[in-house]
Amino acid sequence: MGIEWRIIQREWRLVMARPGEVLKPMWFLLLVISLIPLALSPDSTLLAEIGPAMIWVATLLAILLNMDHLFKDDYSEGVLEQWLFWSRPFAWCVAIKLLTHWLFYILPLILMTPIVGLMLSIEADVIAVLLVTLLVATPALTCFSGLGGALTLGAARSGVLGVLVMLPLFVPVVILAAGVITRTTDGAGVGPLLALLAAFSLGAAILMPLAIAAAIRLNIGGST
Amino acid sequence: MAWRWFHQWGSPRWFYERASRWQAWAGWIAVILLAVGTVWGLAIAPVDYQQGHSYRIIYLHVPVSFLAQALYLAMAIAAAVLLVWRMKLADVAMQSLAIVGFAFCVLALASGAIWGKPTWGTYWVWDARLTSMLILAFLYLGIIGLRSAMLDPNTAGKACAILALVGAINLPIIKYSVEWWNTLHQPASLTLTEKPAMPASMWVPLLINICGYYAAAAYLVFASMRGLVLHRERRAQWVRELVGAHD
Repeated sequence: MGIEWRIIQREWRLVMARPGEVLKPMWFLLLVISLIPLALSPDSTLLAEIGPAMIWVATLLAILLNMDHLFKDDYSEGVLEQWLFWSRPFAWCVAIKLLTHWLFYILPLILMTPIVGLMLSIEADVIAVLLVTLLVATPALTCFSGLGGALTLGAARSGVLGVLVMLPLFVPVVILAAGVITRTTDGAGVGPLLALLAAFSLGAAILMPLAIAAAIRLNIGGST
Repeated sequence: MAWRWFHQWGSPRWFYERASRWQAWAGWIAVILLAVGTVWGLAIAPVDYQQGHSYRIIYLHVPVSFLAQALYLAMAIAAAVLLVWRMKLADVAMQSLAIVGFAFCVLALASGAIWGKPTWGTYWVWDARLTSMLILAFLYLGIIGLRSAMLDPNTAGKACAILALVGAINLPIIKYSVEWWNTLHQPASLTLTEKPAMPASMWVPLLINICGYYAAAAYLVFASMRGLVLHRERRAQWVRELVGAHD
């Protein structure tokens, strides 16, 4: 448990030192959701209909907003280079890092869903389904945004590039999650779709740390 | 023998000289096939009983759509070659294939929109194949954008290779999920396993055109690769002699 625990502890101390970094994506989500009634109409039936999709897209963007934090600071401070010399596989350290990122940054974002759901007058049972889809799908999204962050470590102006590169890969997740939500509102079964979504997340959790590790190694090697 | 073959591909000069011959061959094959296929398709093939003459854009649309996807696959293969054998030429191939592939992707989208207007009454619908072609265009753009943003060209090539491979694994998933999401497009005109629904007088010119566009794509890729090789090797003696530079 030694090294894994140390990564988690370090991440926790960083979060405590800069709590604003956790709040920023939540703040973003609230702002985007508040703009929707202003841009569309305050009509609650209309809002309830498009609400889940809007929350999904806004959460997706909020997750991507966090992409830069995943590896950029650790890269510039030399933490990633230290991992290369640890007694655990590099990809395993990356996986632990992704897990802590999900716990400290993404989970609070998901827990905002009931609040923003109420703002868009979405019914309670639909909010519950929305929460489940987010919980099941966000591991995959975290992995993909991790790859975006790792690939753009050596880029000159990485800001929005990682987002542009990674967004098209999110398509299956969005489609499946939206499918779950529309089927619930239609009263149809969602088991198989949720299973597919979970399969996608698991596959990403297994394969993406390897790709991310390769991308980081590349950038560490390239800079020396 | 095998090693010599392998090393030849590592020599930019050897490739440059061979590729100029391959490029010429591909160019002539493309000209002949496209002339035959296009004239046959546009002038000789029978009129469609449902769509009238507007269906004839198929002789452009289907081949470029084929190629937009095939070139991504070729790029993913080049990416794997680059990551496994670290062959510099594979990097050059990836760069060229991304640009040519993106161009074919845009052509497929544009010709599809033009065909959509008379057939479906609108330029754009959120149909499965249009959407996945659009996402393919975004994937190509991502690879082109990543390369242009990276500071170190060597890192750029390998980063693009990782992205291309992840994209290649994802592409079938994207395709199936989008297909499940919505389907309005007519089913594929030509498949390898089934007999085509069109009469031979329609699909034979289509097949000729598909081969013709493959040759045209090869021509473009070779031309682009040769240019890139010259640029990368611009400090090498043989390039300086070739372009007649004086110290």
